[in-house]
Amino acid sequence: MSTETVVADKGAPLVEMHDISIAFGGIKAVDHASIDLHPGEVVGLLGHNGAGKSTLIKVLSGAYKRDSGTIRIDGKDADISNPRDAKAFGIETIYQTLALADNVDATANLYLGRELRTRWGTLDDIAMEAECRKVMGRLNPNFRRFKEPVKSLSGGQRQSVAIARAIHFNARILIMDEPTAALGPQETAQVGELIKQLKAQGIGIFLISHDIHDVFDLADRLTVMKNGRVVGTAHVKDVTKDEVLGMIILGKVPPGATPGPGAIA
Amino acid sequence: MAEQSSTGGPAASNEGPISRLIRAAEIDTRMLGMLAAMLVIWVGFDVISSILRPGGGGLFGGSFLTSRNLWILLVQTSVIAVMTTGMVLVIVLRQIDLSVGSMLSIVAVATGVLQVFDLGPLLGVGHPAIWIIAVVFAILLGAAIGAFNGILIAYGQIPSFIVTLGGLIAFSGAAFLIASGVTVAPMDKTFKLIGGNGPAASIGPLWSWALAAIACIGIGVAIVAGRRRRLKFSFKAKPVWAEVLSVVVGCAAVLGTTAVVNSYLYPPRVAERFALDNNIPIPPGVEDKSGLAICQAADKVVSCVDGLTFQTGYPIPVLIMLAVGLVMTFVARRTRFGRYIFATGGNPEAAELAGINTKRLTVTVFTLMGALVGISAIIASARLDAATTALGTLNELYVIAAAVIGGTSLAGGIGTIYGAILGALLMQSLQSGMALLNVDSAYTNIVVGIVLVLAVFVDQIYRRRVK
Amino acid sequence: MKFKILTLLAGAVLISASSTAVMAAGKTIAVSWKTFQEERWKTDEAAIKKVVEAAGDTYLSTDAQGSAQKQAADIESLISQKPDVILVVAYDSDAILPSIQKISDAGIKSIAYDVQFEDPNALYITFDNVGVGRIMAQETLKVKPEGRYAFIKGDKGDPNATFLFQGMQEVLKDALASGKVKNVCETFTDGWKPDNAQKNMEQCLTSTNNGVDAVLSENDGMASGVVAALEAQGMAGSVPVTGQDGDLAAINRVALGTQLVSIWKNSIDLGTTAANAAIALADGTDATAIPGVAKFNGGKNKVEMNAILLAPTPITKDNIQVAIDAGHITKEQACAGVAAGTVPACN
Repeated sequence: MSTETVVADKGAPLVEMHDISIAFGGIKAVDHASIDLHPGEVVGLLGHNGAGKSTLIKVLSGAYKRDSGTIRIDGKDADISNPRDAKAFGIETIYQTLALADNVDATANLYLGRELRTRWGTLDDIAMEAECRKVMGRLNPNFRRFKEPVKSLSGGQRQSVAIARAIHFNARILIMDEPTAALGPQETAQVGELIKQLKAQGIGIFLISHDIHDVFDLADRLTVMKNGRVVGTAHVKDVTKDEVLGMIILGKVPPGATPGPGAIA
Repeated sequence: MAEQSSTGGPAASNEGPISRLIRAAEIDTRMLGMLAAMLVIWVGFDVISSILRPGGGGLFGGSFLTSRNLWILLVQTSVIAVMTTGMVLVIVLRQIDLSVGSMLSIVAVATGVLQVFDLGPLLGVGHPAIWIIAVVFAILLGAAIGAFNGILIAYGQIPSFIVTLGGLIAFSGAAFLIASGVTVAPMDKTFKLIGGNGPAASIGPLWSWALAAIACIGIGVAIVAGRRRRLKFSFKAKPVWAEVLSVVVGCAAVLGTTAVVNSYLYPPRVAERFALDNNIPIPPGVEDKSGLAICQAADKVVSCVDGLTFQTGYPIPVLIMLAVGLVMTFVARRTRFGRYIFATGGNPEAAELAGINTKRLTVTVFTLMGALVGISAIIASARLDAATTALGTLNELYVIAAAVIGGTSLAGGIGTIYGAILGALLMQSLQSGMALLNVDSAYTNIVVGIVLVLAVFVDQIYRRRVK
Repeated sequence: MKFKILTLLAGAVLISASSTAVMAAGKTIAVSWKTFQEERWKTDEAAIKKVVEAAGDTYLSTDAQGSAQKQAADIESLISQKPDVILVVAYDSDAILPSIQKISDAGIKSIAYDVQFEDPNALYITFDNVGVGRIMAQETLKVKPEGRYAFIKGDKGDPNATFLFQGMQEVLKDALASGKVKNVCETFTDGWKPDNAQKNMEQCLTSTNNGVDAVLSENDGMASGVVAALEAQGMAGSVPVTGQDGDLAAINRVALGTQLVSIWKNSIDLGTTAANAAIALADGTDATAIPGVAKFNGGKNKVEMNAILLAPTPITKDNIQVAIDAGHITKEQACAGVAAGTVPACN
């Protein structure tokens, strides 16, 4: 793990989200939160349901528009106001709901929004299917049901389609929102392997989870949120699971972590 | 294919030879069901009409399965069928357009006023530019109204049900005001041809066969090209016999339809006038140049011009319907735009997150719907040779019903263009057939209503079983 | 028929002449309109106003805007202005009755204009609606005393569709019984819609193998669909088609010869007759003494009341001039596309 930490610490951050706030109908879902991510680093985002972690990350993926705060990619101000903007910066997201169009097949989902086209401008379904077979062959060699709407696939198969879509287009920043929630142990392990591979390619990953074990296994750093605020950020090796639990439940920051605005003094 | 959620279900281990055949050839079994229902209805009407009024000359002795009735049936279907192709996309997108009937009124009346009251006096009645201006105007006006609906729905975030319900009420009022309630007639004589009335409004046997041949070749080329491409990427292709079967069946359908429309001859008096106008010698035995005295004395009008036969071929409105069907199928299945409509209908949030501009998409779909209403308005007013506010009333219900009978799911995401056109044909078959039997329209309405509900019910059962 | 209309018109002219000459000016005639949404009421109003003002009387009016409630209030306000006669175009012929009672109580005379309400004290002035069906059948019989007739009826939910058909049957009774006239198709048309009429006519022609010699369509809109269907079979012009309403397009078809007749209810006639009757009432003439008044009890509740039933004008090729002279249609509109020398009015 130490080598990766070294990689993560040097150079400019890939993503810096600074002082982000967003409110829905007067309720502050995210309240002056700041978070950053380096190339080849996995940052775990922890917190209860409603702690604001998904909302914060949706600001980055363009699904929500922030009320205030700045986002910098590669040290430059980035104007992200919709999912198309985010994709242009190489930000890909695997949503907790997977966000698949249930009535179309795996290929159509893989290429949704960036279809391959023939020289006449029509959809090149065959080329897309061929490409889809390659990608899925790597991620999930047993996958065969290319012609069926994804609605009829199993949870794991749907997950592979969502992951394939996120990594197929040269993502630099990957957001994974509860990527293993719907999976069995074997498939969870597969996702773990995949994350390590992607890390090695220099992709920065935000991993949102409420499973501490996952985060300790896969992440380099972790940030805990509570009531829309950042409680604190720490290197995984500097804190224990119990201390992190304390951060999540009580908002108490241990000595190994850097406190945020949501920390209890 | 994106919208073929019904085809290629999970492999069943113990299927019979027929279902294996259907699976291998990738046939839409739902469509087969509809065709079977249509066949039953057609044969039924012909048999019943042969009992009520024998000697109709139909396949079973009635007057339904005659080339004349089928030809007229296709023309009668065209107005609803053109609009229903757009309605499929609207419904797939999880929206609805209740305003198409009123929109048809307003476009028909405005176009009628333009050509009769404005362009006629301005350019001179019968000026060759009139019909072109009128056609372009109708399509643009339809598109503009559709876009207006779409913008209110997408950017105003008002539910489409409300926006178009408002349109349903408001547009018919506006249509009334445009012509202060009067019927605008007659239409420009070239414009009128779009409605399919008269010898010049059909393309004749030669062109019809030529089109059929092109269509046949087209089917063959498309299937061969598709097969080549699949093999190039070393995918499993359909068995050769299934491909051949597809070409044969497709071609047979095209040639059969062409044979039917070609065997509809010019009505006797039309034939006679056509012969007189074109200096075609009238064969002996047909002395009466006016065609009146002999024709009226005879029991069958046809007898006064035996020997003077001209085949009609495809009428223009049917060609428009077929062209619209082809283009819309292409749009739905082979373009990004179509793919986005289906994906958005399946999961709007996912589509938005995938970077699809669903608002713009909504506006575009409603604009397209409006343009199609414009085309239907042209056909409807050209066919009636008049434009009135009453034109189009209640059409929204028939258009939606046709789409639904054709397998479009109101929950969004599922629907086919050809299914909807077949739905429109099925509904018109019921209406025309019952009118042919002189059944009171009250019963016709009851039957059409029942068929609509039954179609959806059967569909539900079918989908559950496929799952 | 024509003779009767002429006498009626002559009568109307006489009344107006005498009223201006003999009767004292300074009376007030009020009208409670149900709506001005439909264009025709403006024509009626102009006709009434013209006669009233020519007599030196005052014209008052209110517009109920399609609301029974507003009409009740309108009538109260009219009563308070003490007119001599109030003409009422009732929006709701039952709900209006209490208001009519108030008019009587205030000693004011009332006229039911075009829409009947059953108050025995009121004078009812309208066109003879049952007669329209009779005229259609008569005009058709003139040109086709024998043959296969098709009946394109209006909407099945509209009692008028059945009244019209009854009128036709009365006239055709003997011819139908003797077999001279055969009923080959008879169909209601949903919503009186022209395109439905066109489809029904197409199916009628298909099922009879074009064996139709005359078509009795109950209005002009449907006649346009019928003519289009006949035209597709090359039969337009040789098969007579009826209609009513005096639609501009229909009058043009009459001139072109594709439609036999359009029965026209001239609103100007109706307005003029009503205005003259109102002036007569205002001057104290007894309702029964007004020319053209007869007893009528054909309403819903069979209440007997005094009524003037105007005969509508059948517009045929020969008298299109009448509609042109009345300003209902211009010569250009009526004669568009008509070959020279075929129609008197177009020369």
